[in-house]
Amino acid sequence: MTAMLSTRDLVVGYEARTVLDGLDLDLPADAFTVIVGPNACGKSTLLRTMARLLTPRRGAVLLDGTAIRDLPTREVARRLGVLPQSPLVPEGITVADLVGRGRQPYQRWWRQWSAEDGRAVEAAMAMADVAELADRPVDTLSGGQRQRVWIAMTLAQDTEALLLDEPTTFLDLAHQVEVLDLLHRLRAERGRTVVAVLHDLNQAARYADHLVAMRAGAVVAAGPPREILTAELVRDVFGLDCVVVPCPVTGAPLVVPALTHTSAAPAATPAPAGASAGDA
Amino acid sequence: MTASSPALPGRSLLRVGPLAVPLRRRPVVVAVVLFVLLAGAVVLSLSLGTPYVAPVDVLRALSGAGTPYDLVVLDLRLPRAVLAALAGAAFGVAGTLIQSVARNPLASPDVIGVTQGAGLAATVALTSGAAAVLVAPAALLGGLVAAVLVFALGARHGLAAQRFVLAGVAVAFALRALTEVVMLSADPIDGLRAQLWLIGTLAGKGWTEAAWIAGPLAALLPVLLWAGWALRSTALDDDTARGIGLRPVARRVGLAATGVLAAATVTAQVGAVDFVALVAPQVARRLVRAERPPLLCAALLGALLLVLADLAGRRLFAPTQLPAGVLTAAIGGPYLIFLLLRTRGRRS
Repeated sequence: MTAMLSTRDLVVGYEARTVLDGLDLDLPADAFTVIVGPNACGKSTLLRTMARLLTPRRGAVLLDGTAIRDLPTREVARRLGVLPQSPLVPEGITVADLVGRGRQPYQRWWRQWSAEDGRAVEAAMAMADVAELADRPVDTLSGGQRQRVWIAMTLAQDTEALLLDEPTTFLDLAHQVEVLDLLHRLRAERGRTVVAVLHDLNQAARYADHLVAMRAGAVVAAGPPREILTAELVRDVFGLDCVVVPCPVTGAPLVVPALTHTSAAPAATPAPAGASAGDA
Repeated sequence: MTASSPALPGRSLLRVGPLAVPLRRRPVVVAVVLFVLLAGAVVLSLSLGTPYVAPVDVLRALSGAGTPYDLVVLDLRLPRAVLAALAGAAFGVAGTLIQSVARNPLASPDVIGVTQGAGLAATVALTSGAAAVLVAPAALLGGLVAAVLVFALGARHGLAAQRFVLAGVAVAFALRALTEVVMLSADPIDGLRAQLWLIGTLAGKGWTEAAWIAGPLAALLPVLLWAGWALRSTALDDDTARGIGLRPVARRVGLAATGVLAAATVTAQVGAVDFVALVAPQVARRLVRAERPPLLCAALLGALLLVLADLAGRRLFAPTQLPAGVLTAAIGGPYLIFLLLRTRGRRS
């Protein structure tokens, strides 16, 4: 159960503005890919286009070599799940009901439920740890619980690949880690292809198998975080001077912004500029 | 799957051949209760009036036993009661579909311009000396043309909820202004007839009008079965809907078009009876405690409302007869306000 996502000569824009201009990208199957980059670099646009929420002006998104545009949307939905950035919670809907909506691509109006649907929904709720909330209305839940419910909905869809647009943005740190751990388990235990846009570079470095760094609609670097995440890359992509040191917990690269004139005075000698995980 | 499955809380699975539909108990109970109430209201409306016919005799007449009351019950009162039930059901269906697409509990055929289109066309027909049989077809056409206009104006962003409602409100205001102009420049007697049409009344109407509502509704039945299922997804945003393999824009246009067809069909026959399409879906939704209006319960409740409104209009100030449209507004408006207040009170 693996899915390879690629883009070929992808051109996407909004009205007069072109955001992605001829992008070629291959995302590895059976990996947790994280896309990072400054605001308005096109990372969300890329993710939304891969999830066919946006229609490219030119070029194609390929799922295992086939253009998703040529596949029926129902079939795409059985292979590719997507969690948009801030989905609207239908008023009063219960957790089990919302998670059940993930079974839509397997249902017809005359066959609105099957035993397989029941199994998938239960498994998804268990995996996302929301089974005990099944009867609760989603709009009474906390942000972290709510996000787990949405992820459960996409899990019920039982797809090979899952795309998430900033799944941690409105969560506090503990809930961010909870969601990222869940995505990690999906990859590690279920072999799903997971692709997420994240804002936090250090979380990206900690969780990603494959990191894609974007700037101004182009991919600056792509590869395992330990190989590509250097102070030079951060300066290139974000225009930020920083120090990259190994994370004391995981050994993954940890990005520490360098002192600027607005920062507090240093308590100790600053590390030499340009140091990276490779030097340590 | 049983009702106790955590994946289907509070539901049991209805299986008939290839059909598999999860049902909550509450909507089923509500539908049965509404149906019984509707049957009672119809019997009551066949019974009350001058002369009064005891309900037992009404039932005997209905069963075809042949009673002295057959003329009053079967020929004079039954057609109008059936028309009221059918028209109310059609209003309920139209309101449910339009409110779900607009994602707005205050949307209804008269908010999005369908009623005004029908009203303008009917007013023109009534004041221009056109044959009486042309009024209903003209109104139907007027309602549909107005809907096409609203769809065209609202289409730019895939008939998104806000845009759809705003386009409808704009078209409705323009058409209402035009109607006033036509009415003021017409002969006063014709103007009054148009006024009565705009309020909506069932007086003097019967099997013909009922057939013109029942026919299109029956033709729409397969679409309505699909709509009952498709309505589930209207509360989801477009990105989420696309993600689970739906085509939200096509779906919205299909549901809105079905609602508009139902609204134009019924308005053409009974006039602009207000509030049934607005109130029935919302009350039904609260009765079944769902996240969106339920199609069948809204239809039953619409039928019940209009049968009662017509009965009240006939009897309350007898021998003076009030148009059903006045009564639905008088009942519906305050009830909606009551519901809004109660909902807010419970939350805070």
